[in-house]
Amino acid sequence: MVRLNSRAVAAGLVLALLALIVLAPIAGLLNLSGIPGYEPGDLRFWQSAYIRRVLFFSLWQALLSMLCSVLPAILVARAFALQGDFPLRGLLLRLFALPLVVPAVVAVMGVVSVYGSGGWISLGRSLYGINGILLAHVFFNLPLAVRLLLPQWQTIPPHHWQLGEQLSMNAWQRWRFLEWPALREALPGVMLLVFMLCLTSFAVVLTLGGGPKSTTLEVAIYQSLRFDFDPAQAVVLALLQLSICTLVAIVTLRLQRLPEVEIALDSVSTPIAVPQKRLNTLLILATGIFVGMPLLSMLIDALGGPLWQVIGTPRLWRSLVTTLFIGLFAALFSVGAGWLLLQYSASLSLAGKTSKAHLVDLAGSIVYVVPPLVIGSGLFVLLSPHVDVFTWVYPIVIAINAVMGLPFVIRSLGPALRQNHARYHYLCQSLALRGWNRFRYLEWPLLRRPLGLALALVAALAMGDLGVIALFGTPHSATLPLLIYQQLGAYMIPHATVTALLLLVLSLTVFWGLERVIGGKTGA
Amino acid sequence: MLEIKQLEFAYAAEAASTMQFNLGVAAGEILSLIGPSGSGKSTLLNLIAGFLEPSAGQILLDGIAIETSSIASRPVSIVFQQHNLFPHLDLYTNVALGVDPSLRLSREQADAVATALDQLGLSDLQRRKPGELSGGQRQRVALARVLVRKRRILLLDEAFAALGPALRAELIEVVKKLVHDNNMAALLVSHQPRDALLASARTAFICAGKIVALEQTADLLDKSQLPQVRDYLGSV
Repeated sequence: MVRLNSRAVAAGLVLALLALIVLAPIAGLLNLSGIPGYEPGDLRFWQSAYIRRVLFFSLWQALLSMLCSVLPAILVARAFALQGDFPLRGLLLRLFALPLVVPAVVAVMGVVSVYGSGGWISLGRSLYGINGILLAHVFFNLPLAVRLLLPQWQTIPPHHWQLGEQLSMNAWQRWRFLEWPALREALPGVMLLVFMLCLTSFAVVLTLGGGPKSTTLEVAIYQSLRFDFDPAQAVVLALLQLSICTLVAIVTLRLQRLPEVEIALDSVSTPIAVPQKRLNTLLILATGIFVGMPLLSMLIDALGGPLWQVIGTPRLWRSLVTTLFIGLFAALFSVGAGWLLLQYSASLSLAGKTSKAHLVDLAGSIVYVVPPLVIGSGLFVLLSPHVDVFTWVYPIVIAINAVMGLPFVIRSLGPALRQNHARYHYLCQSLALRGWNRFRYLEWPLLRRPLGLALALVAALAMGDLGVIALFGTPHSATLPLLIYQQLGAYMIPHATVTALLLLVLSLTVFWGLERVIGGKTGA
Repeated sequence: MLEIKQLEFAYAAEAASTMQFNLGVAAGEILSLIGPSGSGKSTLLNLIAGFLEPSAGQILLDGIAIETSSIASRPVSIVFQQHNLFPHLDLYTNVALGVDPSLRLSREQADAVATALDQLGLSDLQRRKPGELSGGQRQRVALARVLVRKRRILLLDEAFAALGPALRAELIEVVKKLVHDNNMAALLVSHQPRDALLASARTAFICAGKIVALEQTADLLDKSQLPQVRDYLGSV
C-alpha cells in the first residue's frame, strides 16, 4: 500500500499555512468592505470616476502590452525556429531568458537609460505614462513569449515539413497548414499569461506611470494604503483586481496549456528562401538589440556614474543584506513548502488518485491569481489595528514572496519529482530506502537540478520584488528595489542607476550561484 | 513454502470485480504467471510485495502470515521490467543498497556484494553507471542485488520483457540457478509463453483476476482446452 499519512500531514500543514497567508487577507478585505460608511454592495465606489479610470487603464495597458509583446514574438519565434544556423542563436536565446531574472525596477532603469532624457533614443517626458509602461512591459514579455512559443515549432512532425516540400508549399501555405495549427494550441495560454503579468505589474507602473492619469489597480491599492490612508478604497480596488485575475486564471485553466518553465528551444530543419532568411536575421537582430540595449545602456551609465559614492554608502550595504536575506529565506521556505506538497501529490498520483493530486498542485498554484499587493493590502488592513506592521516587515515580506514563488516551484520541480516517484517509489520501499537515505541517494542526485532552478527562480523574484516591500518597508528596512524607488523619487537618477546595476549583479550572481551550486554542473 | 490463500483485492474504480488468488509455490520452484493484459498478474505480485493491500486472505511463508508486514520487512525481492537501478549510482552502489540503504557496509557485506557481482559476471563493470550497460547487463545487476538481499521470495514482473529471445533464455537460466541454489520461491510474470516453458515446471493462467488454470507448463501451453487459454495463446 502506498502510505500517505506522513506526507498527507505535511502537505496539510502547508496548505493550511497557505490558506492562512492567502485567504485570511482576502477575508479581511471582504470583512472591511462592510466597515461603517462603506456597506457591502455600496455602489458609491463603483460609481467613482477615479476607480473607473483606474480599472479602464489597467485593462487597456495590459491589453496593449500583451498585443505589443505577443504579436512580434510570433514573428521572432518563427525566425528563431526556422533559422537554426543563425550564429548568435544560443547567445540571444540566453539573453532572452534574462528578463525572467532581471528585477522589474532594474529593467525600468534600463528603459529610462535608453529612452529617458539624454538617453540613446530620448522620448523626453513622454516616456512617463503609457509609452514607458509599454516599453518596459514589452522588454519583459516579448522575450518570454518568444521562449514560450518557440517549442511549438518542435511539435510539427518532420514528415510534415517533408510533405510540405513535396507538395511545393510556399511560405504562406507552410504557415497556414503546418505552423499556425501548431502555434494556435499555445497562443491563447501565452496571451493570457502575458496579459495577467502586465495587469499585475507594479514596479513598472509605479515608476514609469508618471501620475494619476496612468495608474493601475495595483498601484492604486498601494497609493490608497500608503498615501491616501484610505483602506476602504484599497479594499474595493483589491477585490476588483482579485476578481479580474480570477476570471483570467479560470479562462487560462480551461485552455489547459500552461507553458513549462524549462523548455526545448531547438530549431526545425526545413529549407527557407534567401529573402525570408534575411528577414529572419533582421527580426532576430532587432529584437536582440531591443532587449540588450536597456541593460547595456544602464551598465554604461552606471559605470560612468557615482559608482564609488553609492558603494560607499552604508545604507546601500544594509539594503543589499536585507535583499539577500529576504530572497534566500523566501526561496528556502517556498521550495520547502513546494517539496512537501509535491511529495504528497506524487504519492496520490501513484495511488491512482490523479484528481486529488491535481487538486493539491492547483492549490499550491492558486496564489498565482492573487496578486501580492492584494495579499499585502489584506494583511495590512488585517494586522495594522493590532500590531505595528512595519516592525513585522521581514516575516511578512518573506512569507508573501515565498507564497508567490510556489507556482514556480511546482512547475519547475513538479514534473521531475513526479517522474522520480513513479519510477523508484516501489523500489525504494522494497529496499527500505527512506528518509535521509532516500534523499541522499535518490532524490538529491536526481532532483538537484530542478531544485536549484526552483531556488534560483524564487530567490531572484523575491529579491526583485518592489510591491510588498513598498507597502511594508521603511527607510531602515528598505531592500535594493525600494532604495532605487526612493532614489528615483528624490530625482537621484545616476544614484538609482548605480544601485540598479548592483541589484542586477546581485540577482544574477544569486541566480547563477544557486543554480550551479545546488543544481551541479550538468545535473544527473 | 509460499502459500496464497483466498487473497482478495479490488481497485477502487472497479470495486465490483474483486480479484481472488489461491496458489502455492515450493522452495526452489519458479511458478510462471501468464494471462492477458490487465488480468491481475502484476497485481498479485504487488500484493505479495506489499505495494497493494489485500481486502481479505493470507500470504504465508512457511506457515507464517506476512500480509500485514511492512514492505521493507517482507522476505521479498522484486525485479521490474525497467527502473530497477538508480541511474546516477554505479553498479556496486546499486547492489550495495540492497544490503544496507545507509551504505555502511561491514567487511563481510562488502565481500558479499563483490561475490554477487562476480557470480553474475559483472566484476569488471562495477564502477560503471547503468546507462553504460546493455539491457541484459542491467537486469543482471538487479539479480545481483536479489542475491545479496537473501530474501526467500523472488518476484519477477516482466523482468525480461525488453530483451531479445536469446538474452531472455540466458537470464532465465541465471534465475533458475539463483532460485535453486538459494532455495527461493519465485513467481515469474511474462507475456511470452516460451519464457514459462523455459523457466517453470508449472504455470498458472490468470484471467479476469482469477487463476483459471494451474498445470504443468507443457500441458497448459499444448493441451489446455480452456477457451480463455486458447484465445490468449492464439493472440501472442
